[in-house]
Amino acid sequence: MSTSVPSPHPAGRARPALPSAGAPAGRGPAGDARHRRAGSWRNNRLAYAMVAPAFLFMLMVHLVPMLQGIAMSFLQLNQFTLRRFLRAPFVGLANYRSVLFDPENPVRAGLAIAARNTAIFSAVVTLLVLATGLGVALLMNRNFRGRALVRTLMLLPWVVPSYVVGILWSFMWHRDTGIINRILVDWLHLLPEKPFWLMGPNTIWAIILPTVWRSWPYVFIVFLAALQTIPGELYEAAAIDGAGPWRRFRHITLPLLRPAIAIQLLFQIIQSVYAFNIVVMMFGNGSGYAGEWGDLLMIAIQRQSFQSWLFGYGAAASVLLMLAMMGVVALWYRIFRQELIIR
Amino acid sequence: MTPQAWKRVHNALLTLLTALVVVATLFPIAWMVLSSLQSTADLQLGQISLANPRWENYRQMWANVRFGVYLRNSLIISGITTLTACAFATLAGYALARFRFRGADLFSMAVLSTQMIPGIMFLLPIYFIFLWIRQTFGLPMVNTYWGMILIYTAFFTPMSIWIMRGFFAAIPHELEEAALIDGATLFGAFWRVILPLSAPGLIATGVYIFLNAWDELLFAWVMTSTAEVATIPIGIRLYIGQFQNRYDLLMAAATVTTIPVVVTFLLTQRWFISGMTAGSVKG
Repeated sequence: MSTSVPSPHPAGRARPALPSAGAPAGRGPAGDARHRRAGSWRNNRLAYAMVAPAFLFMLMVHLVPMLQGIAMSFLQLNQFTLRRFLRAPFVGLANYRSVLFDPENPVRAGLAIAARNTAIFSAVVTLLVLATGLGVALLMNRNFRGRALVRTLMLLPWVVPSYVVGILWSFMWHRDTGIINRILVDWLHLLPEKPFWLMGPNTIWAIILPTVWRSWPYVFIVFLAALQTIPGELYEAAAIDGAGPWRRFRHITLPLLRPAIAIQLLFQIIQSVYAFNIVVMMFGNGSGYAGEWGDLLMIAIQRQSFQSWLFGYGAAASVLLMLAMMGVVALWYRIFRQELIIR
Repeated sequence: MTPQAWKRVHNALLTLLTALVVVATLFPIAWMVLSSLQSTADLQLGQISLANPRWENYRQMWANVRFGVYLRNSLIISGITTLTACAFATLAGYALARFRFRGADLFSMAVLSTQMIPGIMFLLPIYFIFLWIRQTFGLPMVNTYWGMILIYTAFFTPMSIWIMRGFFAAIPHELEEAALIDGATLFGAFWRVILPLSAPGLIATGVYIFLNAWDELLFAWVMTSTAEVATIPIGIRLYIGQFQNRYDLLMAAATVTTIPVVVTFLLTQRWFISGMTAGSVKG
């Protein structure tokens, strides 16, 4: 599956101030001090006290509401029963059955379309973000004047708020007056006539590209930092042994980037499956229905829950989505386990 | 071609490619600012020029919506969230990096798992918890600053713990040991020796939290319905409804919204970039 990568820091030497990019920090020799102090009750008390505030907040805003959210998926929760919230009628797995198998249920059809779009969207976005990020990182991984400035400028799209990205791109995608059609058709003559981007099958591209535009700079920065930790001697030695650029990339760069790639891959998948802001702001004056070619799961669930008052369905769909994501993470963990050794 | 000439061509090509990437990356942002300075008529005709920028758009936008109020709300909520989440993340991150305590691994796993829950799942439960708090303790939570700050703090703490933990793990243990030998308490060693050293990490984490809080939309929709506490995205959404085709005004609003985060980023980018790439973070 994977080649085990030697730890970049030889044991016994003090670690550099920054751990290798992308890898969970704290690799290398474990501190003896920690183990010497381990188990002493006084230290533990301090550790518990330090963790307590974060733990309490996470308990209140993550754990308890999540359990209630799971409970909601077993209830008949609609506009008539909402006031009773968790005391609404218990219907067991009925919501799940409707969401998954009920051909009569219009909600299910909508969710199936949204699931298909989300799968395409996530796969394409993740691929494009990682490929662009890696490609540009390789391009910029050389010394040239103004490199620091370029690196900073490249991160700007990532800083722009996502809802601004949605509004800005909906303006740029505009069929008649939008700049994208003007460039493609009026200036470059790549297409015979101006296509619709915000309706019909093109919609999926209209939501993919802004998402990629906003996400890839961050991945690029992480990869660039990882590339700079690779010692130049490795390449020199490989070149002396007669390895060409492709083989050097394949056998030096890629294996050493694997931890960074693994982490970014997971984050990109999670982010794109749960994408919401950009798409919601691009369509319907912020109401967010992108049509059947661009409707995403999170948005469809939000619409079912808060516009159609079908909270039980929404909760069941959310739980199913979360289970699917856990499956993805488990698979990811099995593939990249060696890269994630901490301590 | 001689090798030297070939090398020069090769370098020129790489430079050209770099320039192209930079231009393509920055174009949408430039387009946003440029469009915000045109008249509606010109935008629709596609005549864009910098000959006479219409600053009028900004005045009009500011007068039409209570943009100042939304901006204030976003600044207060995002600002205080940054401080509280940073404090929690620093303490918990240090504990995870330095102490082995029972439940540490479980807590680390919990911290990472929070990132996998779709936000929509706990939106309604939190809303009801807030209503329950109000009924039980008479403390209003929905449509308040502290309600939003509480949610956001909890939201952005887990990822921040992860970043801070990475920073602390990279600081050699010998520093604390020296402080302990000099008679400092464990907490004293953390407070006086380690915390000052992790300042770059703190800045990186703080900026990360601020950008994320500034960007949050879903919870703000449900939890703030009055203009007094609504954040910028909520204001913008109302604005789109009112001025659908006035892209000149919308782009002005978009530009004004982007300025605070871009300025924050530019002021801190030195620490931020090195910080964000040290631990790997959700971007």
